[in-house]
Formats: sequence, C-alpha cells, structure tokens
Amino acid sequence: MTAPAIIGAGMIPMGRHKQSSYGGLAVPALRAALRSCDLTPRDIQLVTCGHAFGGMLTGQRIAKEVGIGGVPILNVDNACSGGASALQLAVREVESGRVDLALAIGVDKLTQFGGGTLPLVEEDPEVRAGMVMPALYGMRAGRYLHERGEGPEVLADVSRKARRHGAANPFAQYRSEVTRDEVLAARPIADPLTLLMCCPTGDGAAAVIVASDAKRRQLGLPGARVTASVLHSGKATTGFRHMLKPEITMNSARDAYEAAGIGPADLDVIELHDAFSIAELIYYEALHLCPEGDSAGLLRGGRTTYGGDVVVNPSGGLLSKGHPVGASGIAQAVEIFWHLTGRAGARQVDGARRAMTHVTGGGIAGMDHGACTIHLYEAMT
Amino acid sequence: MTDQMYPDGERSFAANAIQDLAPADKPAHIFRQGGVFLVGARSTSSGVPVFPPRRTCPETGATDMETALFGPGGTLYAFSTVHVSARQDTPYTIGYVDLPEGLRVLAQLRGGPWACDQPVLLRGDDMSWWVEPEAAA
Repeated sequence: MTAPAIIGAGMIPMGRHKQSSYGGLAVPALRAALRSCDLTPRDIQLVTCGHAFGGMLTGQRIAKEVGIGGVPILNVDNACSGGASALQLAVREVESGRVDLALAIGVDKLTQFGGGTLPLVEEDPEVRAGMVMPALYGMRAGRYLHERGEGPEVLADVSRKARRHGAANPFAQYRSEVTRDEVLAARPIADPLTLLMCCPTGDGAAAVIVASDAKRRQLGLPGARVTASVLHSGKATTGFRHMLKPEITMNSARDAYEAAGIGPADLDVIELHDAFSIAELIYYEALHLCPEGDSAGLLRGGRTTYGGDVVVNPSGGLLSKGHPVGASGIAQAVEIFWHLTGRAGARQVDGARRAMTHVTGGGIAGMDHGACTIHLYEAMT
Repeated sequence: MTDQMYPDGERSFAANAIQDLAPADKPAHIFRQGGVFLVGARSTSSGVPVFPPRRTCPETGATDMETALFGPGGTLYAFSTVHVSARQDTPYTIGYVDLPEGLRVLAQLRGGPWACDQPVLLRGDDMSWWVEPEAAA
C-alpha cells in the first residue's frame, strides 16, 4: 500500500494578530490549502487540529466557519508537537483507508498571554522551582559551550542564518537580517541566550490536505508523499541526562530513517525545531547530519544553508518565521510541501526531492521533552 | 481493594486521589550532621531515587517507596540565569545538580560564580533550600 501525500497547503503570515480569534487565524490558512489543490470544504472527510492553547473544540470552532460539519474532528494537544501530531493522525486515518481526504490544521495564539515566556503547567515540580523554556535551553547552551570549548558566537551564528533565510520568506514574523554583534548585544533572556537567540511570541495558523495515493492520482496532483511519520514521548528519568544527546529526537530519527529506508545524506531540505538557537546545533548531531561534536563546524562551513549539504530551515525556522506552538508542526509541513512542489518562490531549494520536518514538545520534569514528531517526505510529480 | 490485588512486596494505597498538591506541612529538607539533606524517597525494589517524594516508582510503577535523604554535596551539571519570568522576581539562577546515588534536582543557585561540573553544597534555612559553591559554603 502506498503512503498518503500532502496535496495542498496554506498558511497565514505569522505575527501578532491580537484582533483575530482561533477561527480568524485558521480559516484563511485552510481556505488557501483547499484552493491550492482545487478542493472545497465538502470534499473533506476528516479534520485534525493541533493546538496548545486554543481551549475546548478549537477544530470545530474553525471548521464550522467554512461549512465543514458532520465529519470526525479531532483536537490534538502535544505542546509544540501538537500540529505535527495532528498531521500524523490525519496520515494514519488516510493510510488506514477510512478516508481519502483529510484536513490537518495547526493553530495557536500566544499574544493572548500578553508576552513573556510560554506558560507552563504549574503542577510540574520543576516549573514550581523556576523552570521556564528559555532556562532549559539556556542550560543546554551553557553545557554545549562548556563541553565544546565554544563561545556564544556560534549561538549567534545560528540566529544569523535563520534571519537570513527568513528575510526571503513573506510568511516569516521577522523579515530582516541581523549581525552577529546585534544578536550578542540583545538583552539577556536566559544566559547565555539573548533575545535574538529565542523564537518570538506570535500567532499563526497553517493547514495541509492529506490524500490517499489513489485519490492523488485521480486528481492528477503533485504532492509530498509522507514516507515516515514517527511520534515519540520522552522517557523520564530522575537521574543523569546528557543534555547534548536528546534521546527523544535521536530515537525518533532512527525510527523515521528506518521506516523510509533513507539516511540523513539523502535529505535536501529540513525544517527542524530551532525554538532557541542552541537547539539547531544539538539537533544537527541528534539527526545525524554530522558526527557528534561537529555541529559548530557544520554550521560554520555553510553546509546547512543554500549551496551546502542540506538546507536547514529555509523558512527562517522558528527563530525567524515564528513559533505559535501548536501551529509550527503544520507550518513546517507547508514549507516542505512548497519546496517539494517547486512553489517556494525566492527561497526555493532547487531540485528538492526528499525532506524532513522535526518538532519536539513541552517542558516537563525528568524528560528531554514530552513529545517529538518527525516526518519524512518525498516529492511526487 | 485489598492487598491481594498487588504483587508480592508491594503495598496498596487506597484507590483515591493522591493529594500531591496539598500544602507541605514540613520543609523539603532537613539538617543532619551539619549538612542539608533533601527529603526524597527511593523504591525498595528498583532503587530509583525521587525528589520530591512520590507514591510510585517512575521507572517501574512499584508502590514500595521509602523515605530517603539526599545530599549534602553534589555536582553542578548545567545552569542558567533567568531574566524573564511571570512567576518570580528576576534575575534568578537555576541549575541541575547531580547528587550522590544518581538523583538530579533542579535547584536555586545562590552566590557564585558558577561553572559546569563544579562541586556544590546544599544550604537551607527554616523555609527553603538552595545550592552554593562548595568553596563558599
């Protein structure tokens, strides 16, 4: 049986959309997705909706605005992995043969909290002890600089690349380049991370249409076939954890490569979870883009930008495009769909055939993260 | 619910909510032999240490948790000074401290300067506990 494919995609520019409801954010995204493959709301047989802060029945509140009703609608919370988890659910339902066409939405509105760090769950003992997401990544960054003998410049250079990529993306929240000095001189958030090493607070929505292979061929559409869809939860420990070797991402990557029968060298483009600049360096190694210890060299050698081995985060990543948490997994898939179907405009990765999206989720005591989702894709033309 | 429902060596607790958010009736630490120790627990069967104490072993699910003390010294694995928080005054510094017997805790750090892998000591007063550099403590 042939794997399902994404045949349509749409999103809104990420940014501060305080005057928009969750429906106001997501309806334009899902209409763009339907329009991109010439389908109508009546064609949709199942809806999945990933979000972290939308409240009850977020998917229904969106779908009812465009006349989608009667079909199953499933809401998925997996923190930052909510959107990608919704994609997996849609892919699985299509793969099972229960439906031919599914809509996967990712949406979140962070400006409802008025700024500051992501509100974490107060029941968690580490949150009560002062944990915030920037501190978790700040500790990882400090450990990285300590073990690798690097200075904060390498953290700044991740942001510089992200902003250079994002400057070419009309959907990015930040669309200007920054210098290394500007990143280093920005106000401190959680040492050694400065403001420009952290993703911005914002709102956004994205949507993709998932079709069975038979339906895709019947419609005569190109697409991004989903060759692997892997979701892991973290394994908690109360003891030592190597903060530069996130087992949740390493295990997810192993399973994804195995499912698709490819390796990291086969990838042309990757959208990975760079919520903070240190994350990109750690994930180069966890995704086996380079041997352990070589991530700084991979970045400095220009091997993860245009003209290199693989273009990482052509959208600008979460650092530049923005990170409305539940939306990000779907927004990554939208970006990949555009590259694999030659629709990415000025930031197109030429000849992109194989791609990955990677997004983790959550700050939770004893775990790397609560969720990690990896999808692999292949161009279908 | 009876003890017969559980495997040998496990104790039952009533099938009712665990009141793990109840206000603490005593501090999370005690003073012993001139040092500060965290009051945690350890599973008798698996040996897994936990802090704060809880009713089940997070590795095996066993319900054989016994009170255990951890401290008074450890090693600072990683740390960060936080400048943005909606919950408490900033800046503050937190870090992961690896204590003997394989327990890692997230601690408030006081004093400094700090470096990864440096030895640290638990400190405390009547209300709370924190960590200081070993040399300064």
